[in-house]
Amino acid sequence: MALSAIPFLLASCIQDERENTECDIESIALHLDKPTAYFFHDYDTLQTLTWYDTIFVFPAIKSFADIQSVPTTLKISEGATAYLTSEDGTEEPFVNGSLVDFSEERTRYFRVVSQDKMWSRRYSFKIEHDVPSDGNLSVGFEDYHLDPTGKYYIWEAPALFTDGVWKNGNPGYKISKSKAKPMEYPSTPVAGGGPDGSDCVKLETCDTGPFGKMVNMRIASGSMFNGIFDVEYAMKNPLKATQFGSPFTHKPAQLRVWLRYEPGSFFQDREANPVEGIVDEPDVYVVLYRNEDENGNKVQPDGNDMMTNPYIVAKGRLPHNYNADGTDQLSSNPIHGLTNEWQDVTIPIEYYTEVDPEILENKGYGIIISFASSWQGGYFMGAIGSKLYVDNMRLFCE
Amino acid sequence: MKSQYKLIALLLFLVPSSLLRAGQNEDSWQKWGPTTGMNGGGFIVRAGYVIGGTTPLPLPAEIRSINEFSPKGGVSIGIDGYRMFSKRWGISLGAHFFWEGFHTSADVKNYYVEYQQKDDDSEESQTKKGYFTGTNETSTEMWGVTIPLLVTLRMSPRWNVSAGPYISYYFSKSFTGKAYENSDGVGYLRNESPVGEKIPVDREANAHYDFADNMLPFSAGVELCFDWKAMRHLNVFGKLDWGLTNIWRRDFDAITFKMYPIYGTVGVAYRY
Repeated sequence: MALSAIPFLLASCIQDERENTECDIESIALHLDKPTAYFFHDYDTLQTLTWYDTIFVFPAIKSFADIQSVPTTLKISEGATAYLTSEDGTEEPFVNGSLVDFSEERTRYFRVVSQDKMWSRRYSFKIEHDVPSDGNLSVGFEDYHLDPTGKYYIWEAPALFTDGVWKNGNPGYKISKSKAKPMEYPSTPVAGGGPDGSDCVKLETCDTGPFGKMVNMRIASGSMFNGIFDVEYAMKNPLKATQFGSPFTHKPAQLRVWLRYEPGSFFQDREANPVEGIVDEPDVYVVLYRNEDENGNKVQPDGNDMMTNPYIVAKGRLPHNYNADGTDQLSSNPIHGLTNEWQDVTIPIEYYTEVDPEILENKGYGIIISFASSWQGGYFMGAIGSKLYVDNMRLFCE
Repeated sequence: MKSQYKLIALLLFLVPSSLLRAGQNEDSWQKWGPTTGMNGGGFIVRAGYVIGGTTPLPLPAEIRSINEFSPKGGVSIGIDGYRMFSKRWGISLGAHFFWEGFHTSADVKNYYVEYQQKDDDSEESQTKKGYFTGTNETSTEMWGVTIPLLVTLRMSPRWNVSAGPYISYYFSKSFTGKAYENSDGVGYLRNESPVGEKIPVDREANAHYDFADNMLPFSAGVELCFDWKAMRHLNVFGKLDWGLTNIWRRDFDAITFKMYPIYGTVGVAYRY
């Protein structure tokens, strides 16, 4: 009985709270009377920022539109102050709802200072016009560089991909294995490793080390996809960390890509127990989906439903075995047909639903292109050492 | 340190001031004195209930609230040998075996953590550091022996107060904990610095740790003990062991503040 009074007694020893040290922009909202007069979707005006988004480009606006002064609202860390940098470099405290001029693709800079004034982060925002594309893509994976922290590689991607770069789990791997060298990450370049002697990409399923073990996420599949990798979900809800897809205005017909695969020596379950008789398999798929629901909300396929989301209209995937109910079947006898020799693989894209040409033209569909070294990597199952080499990807549209 | 003085003042207050009055008759000094005569010695066998905690002093500002506190173990059995040199003054030396510990849950904000995680299989270790906001649960349990060397003052025929240094040795110790989201659903680590990646930590993906190997096997401090002679051979006592040495090894930096064991015991003793 008397013991229950102890927390109360100790409470008198609690000191005054210190000022907050954080200085993030969590989201930005533009208040437009009719968003679709500018953007392709109503939801484009409210953008939630991930930790990486310090150089933020809004989804493209229609080519004839121009957003001049627009009331803008930032959601920032508790107690922090935002400053808007004006053209001449001076800073003014930013009051939510004030007008910001985003016309002529200007880059606008904000600096957020923490409540304790010890920390700050700088952000830039830009609204660009849509540039029509012919849909066909050709990617050689030749254009890559280290991330700003120098820890892992980033590959440039076709402009229509979110942020213009390929996404993968490397930022998550950095958190679990902070000492890993750039070439020890799950997604790495191989100079001169391609079938034609050019550079290619190696996706390898890696051990996530002691921290991965601690949170029961023991492996990381090598991956490459378009969309967002939100590291905030990487530990909490990893299937949601991979937010697939970018708007696309064409009907893809087939994906052709050079592939080479070596499965790791033993397949392990989530607890790292070897699973006898199961061979790891890679994954490659293309998905076309309707990116807005009937109520105008964003449709965002992630690791949970990138194959089963009801808004999917077409897909093509490397062959796998499936159970009678359509779920993935682990097997000793994969049918993907890849070997340790390079081959030019064709993945046809099958349509389930009619595509509305007008919606297509107005960015109402999104495309997902994704590669992984372990197809069950999202569930932290696979074989450490499974390697998928990828080069010369071509997407052909109708 | 302020709260330390407060506590001592409180304990002194609890001793009725009348006890310090002089003038009790010599018979009662004789009656309640050492069984072997006024200047004699003897032994006291003690058994008690231990309650307390291992705590930073003062509580760091990162600790925002304490949600839960429950003692663990809580047994002390020991023996003291004492010798009185005069009517009022004497010394004692003892050996008290104890099992003590506690479990607590606290909400923290911006709490710096840095620790090495070692993989037993691969012998590989990784350092992780950052600032954690959320709920932190800690449990510690220690088995050991305390050797106090005390000076005893007979304040009155039936009241003794003893004070002096002690050292403790731990036969076994544990210090485990985990971090997850608080009751408002907030739980994250800012990687490396307050502007680093915001990594959510929740009950499913909680961070758990065991710092037992980083604890020193010894500690030292001061003991204050009050004895009341309830019967000719039976004492009722209350004592406080206030640790003055940090429980952590010098090279341990996961917890940036020093922590001290502070445990009280109440019990009965057989005196002869």
